Amino acid sequence: MLLGAASIMCVIAGAHGAQAEDVTGKLVIIDWLGGSEADMMHKLEADFASRHPGLVFKEIIPQTSGDIRGGIRQVLMGGEQADVLIDTWPSFRKELVASSLIQPIDKIWADNNLDSKLGKSWKALATIGDHNYGVTYTFGDRSEIWYKTSTLEKAGVTPPKTWDEFVASFKPLRANGVVPMSVSAKVWAHAAWFESMLLRTSGAKVMRKLIAHEIPWTDDAVKAVFKKWAGLLKAGCCNDSNTMMALNWDNSADAVLKAGTAAYDMFGMSLNTRAEKQYGMVPGKDYSLFQFPSMGMGHDDESMVDSKELNLLSTAQNPGAVGAFMAYMVSKDAAAIMAKYGMPSPSTAADISLYDPVVQKAVEAVSSAKDVEFVLGDQLPADLTSEYRVQMQKFLIDPSDANIDKITAAIEAVAAGAY
Amino acid sequence: MGATARARNQGPAVASSSNRTGSRKRAGSIAWSKGDSGAAWLLIGPLLLLFGISVVYPLIETIRLSFFDIRGMAPARFNGIGNYFALMRDENFRHSLLATLQWTLASTILAVGIGWLLAMVCSLAPRRTLPFRVLIFAAYGVSEAVSGFMWLGIYRPDTAGMLNALLGAVGLGSLAHPWLGDANTAMWAVIVAYVWTQVGLPLMMCFASIQSIPASLIEAAHIDGASPAAALRHIVMPLSLPGARVATFITLLASLKAFDLIFILTGGGPVRSTETVGYFMYRESMQNFKLGYGAASTVVLLAAVLLVSVPAIIKRTEQAK
Repeated sequence: MLLGAASIMCVIAGAHGAQAEDVTGKLVIIDWLGGSEADMMHKLEADFASRHPGLVFKEIIPQTSGDIRGGIRQVLMGGEQADVLIDTWPSFRKELVASSLIQPIDKIWADNNLDSKLGKSWKALATIGDHNYGVTYTFGDRSEIWYKTSTLEKAGVTPPKTWDEFVASFKPLRANGVVPMSVSAKVWAHAAWFESMLLRTSGAKVMRKLIAHEIPWTDDAVKAVFKKWAGLLKAGCCNDSNTMMALNWDNSADAVLKAGTAAYDMFGMSLNTRAEKQYGMVPGKDYSLFQFPSMGMGHDDESMVDSKELNLLSTAQNPGAVGAFMAYMVSKDAAAIMAKYGMPSPSTAADISLYDPVVQKAVEAVSSAKDVEFVLGDQLPADLTSEYRVQMQKFLIDPSDANIDKITAAIEAVAAGAY
Repeated sequence: MGATARARNQGPAVASSSNRTGSRKRAGSIAWSKGDSGAAWLLIGPLLLLFGISVVYPLIETIRLSFFDIRGMAPARFNGIGNYFALMRDENFRHSLLATLQWTLASTILAVGIGWLLAMVCSLAPRRTLPFRVLIFAAYGVSEAVSGFMWLGIYRPDTAGMLNALLGAVGLGSLAHPWLGDANTAMWAVIVAYVWTQVGLPLMMCFASIQSIPASLIEAAHIDGASPAAALRHIVMPLSLPGARVATFITLLASLKAFDLIFILTGGGPVRSTETVGYFMYRESMQNFKLGYGAASTVVLLAAVLLVSVPAIIKRTEQAK
């Protein structure tokens, strides 16, 4: 009883400690989010502001076409004062740290006892050297494969768990006039398949080495993935290469979740919002997801994720409010708001029962993973990412062993000068 | 003298008439006194200031940046003409030059050729073809971004793609193709879309030129027994050439700068097959964040634009004298 009372006192004292921060004035946030994610952020800001009547949010919206990082750079290099940045690219975070544009948040982390809200993997994702630079507030399972329930049912296919089952499902799907995998290779989404295969065949540790360029792109681990993919192409997984390169991610989403002309799609959690809001589908009933099939190579319990985090800018004039906002974003209340938008929170305080069945599956897969790695493409230097995606298109045109040697050499040539 | 021969002589006659008009204007022009120069500077000053801020300064800054190695937000390092050497060695840049050549020549020839042809057809019945001309010119007024999304729908490779659906509907389903996904067809597919957006300008300019041809010349040709084709070839075409020339010049320069449509339709792909210098510049500067390198490619593109435009401007200025 005494222990219970003591712990309640500690919680109150802890909460008080966090509340003691000066949470007034103006909190300037660089917010580049769009669509329902932007709506969600506005809702979160409004909820946080309602708890701190002396606080006002000001948003800076970077303007650019294409890669939003160009717009963020313009804002930061143009000398605009801001307190907090929404970031989703680990390679960009590194660049910001190297340019001293963001500062460590170790004190915020300790003051708000964020270790109790975010697991070690999430902390590790935002750690550079000895310091932590980001609070992850939402994430996406990127080892997931999306499908429309009726498409698989018509073909008599159950969501495959193993690689063999996955490949075996191609035949009945084809017999039903369905393309098994919709690979949209126009810009970048084709890389998702490569990265998931790399995770299953070589694991997160090898991925990290590749990201850090501690192993070359000509390594056997990389070539093995391309050969695995060549096997899929031979087994009739996909459209012809020209069609794949004409498809953007939304075409694949339409084909798999709406039209049912293709069976499997890899993209990210935003497909959940698209299926529910745009196609009017019921999560878990009309569509669902399964984890990338196991290959029995020792890495089946690893997951790939993407995430969004908050960074404390060096120009911050209201660090107290930033700290409180970061702590709020991993709170139970914030997680409940995110759940309404179909976005999962990595917080241990989140009530998983609020999520729809599809998000629940994704959250369970990520939280039970033994190792978690961020998507590879977002961690590479920008010019290497470009080259890697283009060379992958060349692979789709010609998946022969000779071409695999050629394209891995071409990626390595760019990697050699990119670090 | 036959009508066609009279038409051939019309050129010098018009020119000498214009010279006479020019002489009259010069004779009657207002003589500037020294006291007026202050007022002149006052009037032209704001324009020069705006020109300096919006054109001269960015130009100088771009040239300056091209001598630096800038990666992301890391401090810039002076690199001399290193970026230019790197560009010459860059296989992707060399490819983008060739792609730009193909893009510029094809889109200009097609846009002006089709526009000119349509202008000649429309001139046969100017009133009845007015709605047609307005519709075609409206496409010129639509932003490239908007047309890009429209053409994206037309070229979609799946059943929702209008072009493939149309081919299927007329029994040519075997010709259905992922037009934007094939490196062999993507550039031509984008060129077709671009020509659609551009053809309105040559049409209107050539049509205006044709309308300025005296009707008496055509009538005389008709009386002399010239066939419509002969009248078209020997009267309408040569006398509407000035309009076509200006349209070519404007379309050529616009095509060198074209970006939006390529960005939306193909993003420079597949496998860089539609990557023009303009797109290369965007990729290096805004995707790969190598600002100095991107600036160097901009300077090369600028040199190409000047190479095309300066001789033409000088020629036009000399003619004006």
